[in-house]
Order: sequence, then structure tokens, then C-alpha cells
Amino acid sequence: MNRSHVLWLVAAWLGFAVLPWHVPSSRFAHEVPWPSGLMLSLTGAEPWLVPIALVLVLPAMALAAEGIGRANLLVASGCAGLVALLAQGFLVGLDGWAFAALDEAFGAVEGQAGLGLGALVTAFALLFLLTTGLAGRGAMKGDRFTTGAIGLVVSSILVFVFFPVAHILAGAATPDGDMSGMAAFVARLTAADIWSLACLAGEGRCGVAWTSVFVATLTGIVTTLLGLAFALVATRTNFPFKRALRLLTVLPIITPPFVIGLAVILLFGRNGTVTLALSDWFGLTSTRWIYGLPGILLTQALAFTPIAFLVMVGIVQGISPSMEEAAQTLRADRWRTFRRVTWPLLRPGLANAFLIGFIESLADFGNPLVLGGNYEVLSTKIFYAVVGAQHDPGRAAALAIVLLSLCIGAFMAQRLWLGRRSYTTMSGKGDAGLPAALPGWLKASIYAVALPWAAFTFLLYVLILFGGFVVNWGRDNSFTLRHYETGFGLAWGEHGLQWTGRAWNSLFTTLEIAAVSAPLTAGMGLLTAYLLVRQRFAGQGAFEFMTLLSFAIPGTVIGVSYILAYNEPPVELTGTAVILVLCFIFRNMPVSIRAGVAAMSQIDRSLDECALTLRSGSARTVRRVIIPLLRPAIVAALVYSFVRAITSVSAVIFLVSARHDLATSYIVGRVEAGDFGLAIAYSSVLIVLMGLGILFIQWIVGERRLSRRSSADLKPFKVTA
Amino acid sequence: MRSNRFNRTLMAAAAVSAFWAGSGQAAAESLTLYCSVQEEWCQAMVNAFTAETGIDVAMTRKSSGETFAQIQAESGNPKGDVWWGGTGDPHLQAAEEGLTEEYQSPRLAELQPWARQQAESSKSRTVGIYAGALGFVYNTEIVAEKKLPEPACWADLVKPEYKGEIQIANPNSSGTSYTALATLVQLLGEQPAFDYLAQLNANVNQYTKSGAAPATAAARGETAIGIVFMHDGVTQVVGGFPVKVVAPCEGTGYEIGSMSLIKGGPNPDAAKKWYDWALSPAAQEIGATANSFQVPSNTGAKTPPEAPSLDTVKLIDYDFAKYGSSDERKRLLGRWDSEIGSKN
Amino acid sequence: MTIAPKPGGVEFRNVSRRYGAVVAVDNVSFVVDPGTLVTLLGPSGCGKTTTLRMIAGLESASSGTIMIGGKDVTRLPATDRNVTMVFQSYALFPHMTVLENVGFGLEVSPLSRSEREARSSEGLRLVGLAGYEKRLPSELSGGQQQRVAVARALVLEPEVLLFDEPLSNLDAKLRRRMRDDIRDLQRSLGLTSVYVTHDQEEALAVSDRIIVMNRAVIAQEGSPRDLYQRPADRFVADFIGGANLIDGVVTGRDGPTATVRVGAMTLDVQAPGIATGDVVVAVRPQAIRVEPVASDATLEVTVRKATYLGSHMEYALDSAVGELFAVDQDVSRAVSTGSLAHVRFDPRGIALVGR
Repeated sequence: MNRSHVLWLVAAWLGFAVLPWHVPSSRFAHEVPWPSGLMLSLTGAEPWLVPIALVLVLPAMALAAEGIGRANLLVASGCAGLVALLAQGFLVGLDGWAFAALDEAFGAVEGQAGLGLGALVTAFALLFLLTTGLAGRGAMKGDRFTTGAIGLVVSSILVFVFFPVAHILAGAATPDGDMSGMAAFVARLTAADIWSLACLAGEGRCGVAWTSVFVATLTGIVTTLLGLAFALVATRTNFPFKRALRLLTVLPIITPPFVIGLAVILLFGRNGTVTLALSDWFGLTSTRWIYGLPGILLTQALAFTPIAFLVMVGIVQGISPSMEEAAQTLRADRWRTFRRVTWPLLRPGLANAFLIGFIESLADFGNPLVLGGNYEVLSTKIFYAVVGAQHDPGRAAALAIVLLSLCIGAFMAQRLWLGRRSYTTMSGKGDAGLPAALPGWLKASIYAVALPWAAFTFLLYVLILFGGFVVNWGRDNSFTLRHYETGFGLAWGEHGLQWTGRAWNSLFTTLEIAAVSAPLTAGMGLLTAYLLVRQRFAGQGAFEFMTLLSFAIPGTVIGVSYILAYNEPPVELTGTAVILVLCFIFRNMPVSIRAGVAAMSQIDRSLDECALTLRSGSARTVRRVIIPLLRPAIVAALVYSFVRAITSVSAVIFLVSARHDLATSYIVGRVEAGDFGLAIAYSSVLIVLMGLGILFIQWIVGERRLSRRSSADLKPFKVTA
Repeated sequence: MRSNRFNRTLMAAAAVSAFWAGSGQAAAESLTLYCSVQEEWCQAMVNAFTAETGIDVAMTRKSSGETFAQIQAESGNPKGDVWWGGTGDPHLQAAEEGLTEEYQSPRLAELQPWARQQAESSKSRTVGIYAGALGFVYNTEIVAEKKLPEPACWADLVKPEYKGEIQIANPNSSGTSYTALATLVQLLGEQPAFDYLAQLNANVNQYTKSGAAPATAAARGETAIGIVFMHDGVTQVVGGFPVKVVAPCEGTGYEIGSMSLIKGGPNPDAAKKWYDWALSPAAQEIGATANSFQVPSNTGAKTPPEAPSLDTVKLIDYDFAKYGSSDERKRLLGRWDSEIGSKN
Repeated sequence: MTIAPKPGGVEFRNVSRRYGAVVAVDNVSFVVDPGTLVTLLGPSGCGKTTTLRMIAGLESASSGTIMIGGKDVTRLPATDRNVTMVFQSYALFPHMTVLENVGFGLEVSPLSRSEREARSSEGLRLVGLAGYEKRLPSELSGGQQQRVAVARALVLEPEVLLFDEPLSNLDAKLRRRMRDDIRDLQRSLGLTSVYVTHDQEEALAVSDRIIVMNRAVIAQEGSPRDLYQRPADRFVADFIGGANLIDGVVTGRDGPTATVRVGAMTLDVQAPGIATGDVVVAVRPQAIRVEPVASDATLEVTVRKATYLGSHMEYALDSAVGELFAVDQDVSRAVSTGSLAHVRFDPRGIALVGR
């Protein structure tokens, strides 16, 4: 306890007395020569910092105490310090006191800028003093690392998920006209355009909640069946090009949004290549059938089948062949074996894949935007409630609550279902059996489904690549490098190499932010997974729910809520790269958590308990024992967070700023302008870069494992929500 | 081992703090611009301004709706200085909500009357920088192939021949389409306008999200006719697509692309420099070089030859003050939603 | 470099462990003297493993005090306790070699690298695995993995060495050998050990003392002989060595000898401290002798099943006092299934337990 006590005490004073307390701001040019928290409170410039200074004396006094008394003192000082820090942050805003009553009580004050580096360091130090004290009191078996980790994860989720979401949800209850807050809240949540069932009666349209659930259900079913077909082809047949098949299923994951939608329009739109060919050959009238439900379904199936495949492949491989062999020795033919043994064992996987498809579809924004036609779904409706001509953030918040409830409901259903029924047999022991061959007609039908779909996906990507090299796809198919020149031109100028292309700026920012956020996301996620799997503490269920929440929140909602929450002190982040990084961390963390939980559940718990009894603290145990055994999960978490940081659009569209523009928001702009060539060229570049990024991550993380372990099998990265 | 981990922790901490410290930093003379026209035009403007004044411009391009939502969200602590471009309504709305600053440029006198009127109706909180009339754009190939008559008037569009061939944005999401709605209400009177829209509804194949999307769709043959701002159609003509732009014979409404100073922005002086510069004839001629063919507001600026000249288009006397106000907008949009939008 | 642990005692004072409403260990107190091997014995779910993990610091006590080596360690994390443990699954780190595994715990000690390796090698030599340093755990047999786990725990010279069902993954022959090896090692190094098992034979074989646990409390504590000969209750009587539990009545006593009536039989049994009244008579299977003729000390039985096992016979018998299970060493006098017979109870194989 002693060492970390001293360390965090020093850090707290470093943050308070040495580092600048606020973020730099042109509005508050203090005369204080060295604007640390201590100087600001001593000179009387910001008297509200004095309580923090007083509290920070406590842990120094605690050095003299022993045992429980010292621990109690640390807990008290940590709590008091955090309260003092937050209170001053929320009570004194940019323009002085946040509440008029305080003006009268204490007199008007000038106000303050957002919390800066010094405040950040002090806040962390106070938090860890608190958790050190809790460990000293015997919490979490006295383990400082564990209490610290719980403190870190819980407080960051509170600050970066709950705080912003509370902002936007409060928005649903803002008074509207002469309606009171509560009445407006109820009115918005029960609006007919959300819940109406008029379409069933044949008059008018159904509420957007129903249409969204409908398309999500269809997408869930289609992607699950396709995923199953691919998984069976990949594991239960002697199909010769399995590696290529795997690659093809990874491609859509690393494809920026809009691209698939664009390609589908250019193929199946009224004037699309395929449509025209069909009308030439068969005299069919070209129609706009693709816009609406068919288009959304097609593009979502293209985009989310790979995820279903990755889930299903794990399940299919997890079925112990001996069970099927046992069935065969019991006189079951191939069909009976499949129907009575294999299929029931697949069911939990199917439920999982379906729910993932369902949730992804609900949260999808890009595809309905491009191909939705008049078909309304919640995600686009929220977006246009915010940015559209109505500018009704209250309505957006209400719609967001509906979408959030649907996603969380699906999550809960998934967890309830899978919590009870995991039949997969992953004993880790070698299973000498051979998987049963599929019934002939079943094999024929999965080939009939999977192969054309694979061919279609392949064709689509060839066309996307091709689309970047023609003048104007569909109209002028002559070869050109113009789009690449516009986006990625280089020139030798008087100052050497000049990045003249218009896309360089956003590309560099994107890669930089993805590279910074990916390891942080993976780290936070795996740390949380460790706490969930390996530790038991009060309120763990609530803790797990909190970590899932940010994944269930649609990107648009997160984006708006981040602006609302972090534009003003105490936490002022808008317009910076930090806000983008934070947004990615907390949006993509749940996937890292899932990957970590899955992998960690397979590592025998006694391994790390053993390390503990061998005098290795939790931190060292994690580093020396758990992480080396967790490399596949680390790869999965890193890849996923890297790719998501590059391809996400709905969350960041509000958060990008002049100095920190991102690739996807640039591409959206190009699509809006009808400049499909540059959009496609840029997307192709991103696909290639993400592919390289994945290889790089596997190389960096995977190689170390190979050198230690002879039987290293690099699993495909497994995405389970 | 120990020192290695320590180093890594230190590096991570340094990276985070570097970002943190980097927030909110401002160079000596700089400007944050929110730009709501095509990215090419924004970029060309920024380059020209920086070349002329040496002021470093940080530019974000977002649609006018997005920008308005952002300025609204940031109002407690504005991050932007100038909002340049984009249809006038959200500018007026921002003025109404007090999000933008009053300013009278010395160049005000050089401007077209409609641009000055925009400033007057907003108590000098915004000003017109370009204008664009509402019109139709149609795909000549489809019209020829299907032997459809060429549309010339609003009245033509409700003819049964055009069933499933017309595209217009959803006024709830697009300012362009709201301008069309308001135009029809002013042209025909409110009740006849909604009757007209109900008839038009039978011919509309899709209410798009974005205002310019029908122009792109017409250019690519996804629809025969789109109702858009004429300059968006011109961009497609210049892009080599087989489309033609038409001004409705009965007369039409128009948008006034506007510019506002954001209240409480970090660089008010640089913002005014941009404001004055952007109203100058030279600056207003940049649009045409970047494939944007709106009519500039400075009387001294040359109108690009491709631009649909406002002299030949029959313009209605659009009441920007009335139809730009939040209440009227909300009422009309609500009516549209219940009578048209919810019926398909 | 030698390995010389400094054995310390363990003391539990009124320790409880609760998970919500479930009580895993209920107000348990006991003392383990330095240098002895004490076994925690009991059926699964009795709280023995939780008790062991509380000694290790892997579980924290909900209430009570835990002392190791005379110091209060109740709130000390596992890392800071001078206790090591051999796990049921061995818990060898699959990504480290045998030497790295054994040396893992020494990495935080002030020893130099070469000292650490020397100590680790000495540990491996002690368990008879010299020469296996560079192997990976997956390249060892189960017994060898077990030995690595022991060596890894030993090299830290713990005050207390804990064993959590260490032999349950081994086959019968290997189990017997390992248990002797563990006992030898513990004696020669003078280790304090706490050993958890559910196998009473293993417990009897290795322990100085045995603590029998049942339903979260200590059922009985004592030397192996005490527990077998003087079980405190019917649970212990049955759990250790197995017993036929028959209802009887103590009708009178003469010093340490009690007179018990079981069915029609009357027996004199050494049972100090048992008052007159209803008792449970625990009869070891080996104490039931099949007799050719009836007498007033015999009981009439029907042989339901007779099994020939080479060295002895096993009988399942039906009688007026209930079913009996008997083991008779005298194979030559075997009776066959279905026949009537008479049995006599040998008083030396009988214990009386209060009802």
C-alpha cells in the first residue's frame, strides 16, 4: 500500500501544483504567471479551487497513519477530493456561477475554462488514492490493481457514456411550446409516426419502430442463413477455395459505409449496368425496385453476413465430431444426424448470429441513407430529426430512446438465451473424430446459396475497384487516374514533397486517430473483460450492463450527445482529436470486451490464481500470464477497433472538426455531391490500408506468441457482439 | 521488464496529454470556418483567402442542417467564427435564436437587393452571398425514350404521364424541399398548394433525404425529373450528364445562400475580414471556377455564363421573413407530414 | 543452493465466508501446528476448498481472523502472503518452459538471475525432474506436470504449502506413489502443509491430523486413528472408512464399556463418554463375520449378493436391522447368494455415535 500511496500522492500534487489546471483558452488570459491549480487558488483568482487544496493535505497526513486508519483516511480523501473537483467544475461555468443563487451568496465571479492536464492528473490520482484505500480496507481481497482497474473503468464509463447519454435523454423531456417537460416526453415517445400500425389496415404507413424492427428481423434471418451456409462450406465440405472464401467474408468488414450502397445502385439502379443489360436482353422495363426495403436488405446482407459467418464458423467448429459419430453408430443416417444432433447443437449459434444481425441492422445508418428510398428506419430518422429542416432535438432524443430500448432489449434477449444454452463442447482436448458428412441435397443447397453469393460479393468488389479508375461509371467507362490524382496527388514543390491531394488531410487524421484509439480500445476492453471474468464484486451485473450500453447506442445519438456534453466546461473537448478518440474507445470497447471474455473463459482460472500465490500481483499476472495466452483475442480486439474507427460514420459526423476531419465524413460529402468517382477511389484506398493494418497487427501481436509456443493456431478474428 | 512497462505507460500518458493540451489551441491569426456549399468551392475560397490575407483558415464542410445543429449545440461555447454558405433558412433561424452576431459590412451597399433584404429581415445577423432559383432538371434520354413531354411548368408535373418519374426531397429533412413547399404556398395559396402536392405525390417515386439528390438521380437516370435548385442541375450539365434545367413558367421561389458571423466565436476580427472579403466581387467569382453556378450577390461580380440568369427566370416575391420563421415552418412541415408524408 | 522453508502455523478464529445468502464456511476455528500436514476432508461442497483458498488469500473471509506464522493476514492479498499452493489442475503456464514456470515466483525476489535458476533447478531436482528444464508443460506426462507444480510451489520456501486435491487427475497407481512422495518431501523439509481431498484413504495415508468438514462446519478434527476409531457423529463414521449405521440402545455401562442392544443382539463396546439411551451403532464392514451357527450374539441374515474378490468376499445382506454391507477376509468359508446365514459383530470394529 505504501508505494502506490506515495506515487498517487505525488501525482495528485504534481497535477495540482505544477501542471496547468485548465485547457488553454483565449477567453481567460489569467495574470497568474503559472496557472496551476495551486497558484490559482493562492492568488485568489479561482477561490473555488481552495477546497481541493485542503483535501489534498489529507493523504499526506495519512502517511503517518497505519493499517485500517490509513486506508480509511485515503478513502475519505479520495472521495472528498473528487467531489470537490466535480463540484467546482459544475458550479463555476464559462460565465461564472452556474446557478443564480450562488451569485447572490458569493458574489459574481469571472468564470473558468475547462479542466486541463493538471485537473486530469489530479483527478486520476484522487481516484487511485481512493481505490488504494479501498484495497487497504480489504476490498477485492486487498488487490490494488483490481480496485484501481474497477475504479478506472467505472469512472470512465460514467464520464464518457452515462454523462453524455443522460444529456441527450434529458433532451427528450425538454418542454415543447406550452407542453410541460413530462407531457412533451410522453407525447414524443408515443407519437403515431413511431408506433402507428396503419399499414396493416392498408391505410398509410406504419410507425418507424415497426418498419425498423421488420427490416432488422429480415436482415437477421438472411445474414444468419447465409452465415450458416458459408460456415458449413468452410468447415464441412471439401470446397477447394476456402481461403479465398474467408478473405471474401472479411472484405465487407473493412469496407467503408456507402461504398456497397453506391455499387449496388450502379448495378441494380434504374439505370444500373445489370438493369440495363436485363432490359436489353429480355425487354424488361427498368424500375426503381432496389430503392427501399430490397435495397436495404441487400446491402445489409452484404455487409453483415461476414459477422454471422464468423460467429457460425466458431459454433460449427465447436461441435464435437464424436457426438455426430455417436449418432451414426446409433444407426442415424446423415440426414437424421444433421437434423437430430448437428442442428440442435447449432441453435445457440443461430440465435447469437441472428441477434447480432438484428442489432447491426437497427444501428445501420449508411445503407438506409443511400438505398432507403421512402422506407423509413429509426437511424436515418434520428439523423434528420437533428439536422433536417425541422431541427427537433427533442424528437431525435425520443427516437433515440426507442432505438436504444430495441437494441438493449435484443441484447438482453441474446444474453438470456445464451446464458442458459451453450451446448458447444470446447474441452480443449483433441477430438479424434471426423465431422459427419452433410446430406447430399443439403450440401447441394448450401453450395447453391453460398457460391453465387460469394461470386456476387467478389464481382461487387471488382467493380468497386474498377469504379475508381473510370471517368464516370456507367456513362464514360474510359480509364483515368483523375480521381486518384484529385484525392491523393503528390507534387514536388519548392518545399520538397507536397501533399496536394484533397484527401490526404482526412486520411492522415483518420489513420492517426484509428492507430491511437485501437490499442486504447483493446486495452480498456480486455481490462474490463478481465474484471468481468476473473473477479467477483458487488454490482458486477450492473457493471457489465454499463459496458454494453455504449454499443447499443446508435452512432448518431452518441455523436450528438458528445457535442452536448463536452462542449463546455468542466470537460471541454469539442473540436479536438481527443473527442474522436474517446468516442471510438467507448463505442467499440464492447467488442473487445466480448472477445476478451470469450478467450479468457477458456483459460483455466487456476492459472492466474496460481500466479497470485506465487507472489505475483494482479498487474504482473495479467502481463505475464494472461496477455501471452490471449493473443488471438488481442488481435481480434485491435483489428476490430482499428477497422471500426476508420469505417464508422454516424457517430463522427458531428464530431469532426476543421483540423480533425475524417475519411468517412469526407466520403459522405463526395457522395452527396454526386462525385462517386472520388468516393469510390478513396474507399478503395481505405480498404487496402485496412487490409495492411490487419496484417500488421497480426504480425506484431501474433509473432511473439509463435516464438513461445509451437502449436500456435492463429484463429480467424472472431467478432461477437 | 519493470522499466519497460513504465516507459510504455509513460508514452501512453504523454500521448493522451499531448492531445489534451492540444485542444483549444489557437494560432496568432486564424479563423474557423463552417462551410455549407460543395467541398470544392469551400476549398477554393479558403485557398484564395489565405493567399490574400495570410490568415490560417480551419474549414469544416457540412450541410447547412448539420452546421446549424452544430452551432446550436455549441452555443454555450462557440468553436466556429463564420458560417459561410448554405440555404438561407437555417441562417435566419440561427439569427432568430440569437446564435449569430449583428454585423454590417462596408460592402453592403454593393449587394443585390435580395441580398440586402436578407440582412434587413434578420436585423443584420446574416447576409445573402448568392442566390439560386428553384427549378426542374430532367434526363433528356429518359424523356425521349419514354416519349414524355418536356416539363415546363409546375402544372405539368401533376400530369399522369409522369407517374413514378418525379423526385423531390423530403421537406422535413431538406431545406431545398422546404423552399419548394413555401414557394408553392406563396404561388398558389396554402390550400391549393396542398391539393397540388397531394396530386404530385402520385407521381413522386421517392422523397430523398438530401436536397440535391434528385439532381444526381436525374443525371444518372434513376429518375426522369428532379425538383431542385437550378444550379445543382447545372453542375450535372457541366459534368457531362444528359440533363436539362428548366425554370417553371408560373414563376418560382429561390434560396438566398447566406453568411453569418457566429456569436462569441474565438476570432471575431479575422471573421470580419472573411465576411468583408467574401462579399467582394473577386471572391464571389470563385464559385464558377469550382463547378458551382449560383448567382453572386455582389452587383460587381460577373454571373457565370452557365448560371441560370435570374433576369430570365420569373421569380416570385419570396417572403423570407415569414417562411423562414420557426413557427410557420413547423406548422407547414407538420401539415405536409400529416397530409402527404405519412400517406405513402 | 538449498531449499529450506521456515514453517509457520495457521490459525482460523471464527472464520466465515458467505456468498450472499449462501454460507460456504460457517464460523470455523482450527489450528495447524508448524511442520505438520493437516488434511481438510469432506464431500464436495462442504467448504474445504473455500477454507484452503482463504488460507491462500484467494478468497477473503467475511468475518473472523486468519493468522499465518503468528501474524494476522486476514486482509492481506494472496500476493503478500508467504503461502504457495499446488492446484488441482496443476495450473502450469502453457507458454513457459518448465524452468520458467518454476522460477516464475522468484522473479520478484531480490535474487539474481543465476541464483533464481539455481534455486529452480534445485526445486526440480527435489521432485526428481532434473533435466526437464527446457520442456514445455505440454510435453510432460500428468505425473511430471504434477511434480513441476510442486517444485514451483516449493522454491518460494513458503511458510505454508497448500495442496488442492493434487492427485485427483492421476491414475490409481501414480496417485499412491505421488502421495508417498509428497508426504516424504513434507517430512524431510519440515513443511507446514494443508491438504484438501475428498478421498478418505488418501487423507488417512498422508495426514498428521485430519479436519473433517461437512455443510460448512467442522464435523470432527483429530488424528487419523481417532477419526476412524472414535467418530463423533454418523456422518464421520460413514465418511471415514465406511460403516453400516444401525439404530441401537445403550442399556447400561461399566466404566468405558457400554452395553448396546442391536435388534436381538446385545454387545459390549468400548465407548467412553456415551450416555445410556438411543445411539447409532456404526459397524465397519470388516467387523461383520459370517458364522456357520446361530447364537445369542449372532443375527440372522439373507445373502442378497456375494462377490468373490480374490483376497476377500463382499456381501450384501438383508437382516432384521436393515441392509448390511460386509467384507470377510475368510474366502474359504464363503456363503452363496440366496442362502441364509448368521453374522456376528466384532466389537473392535464398532463405534457408538449419539443419535
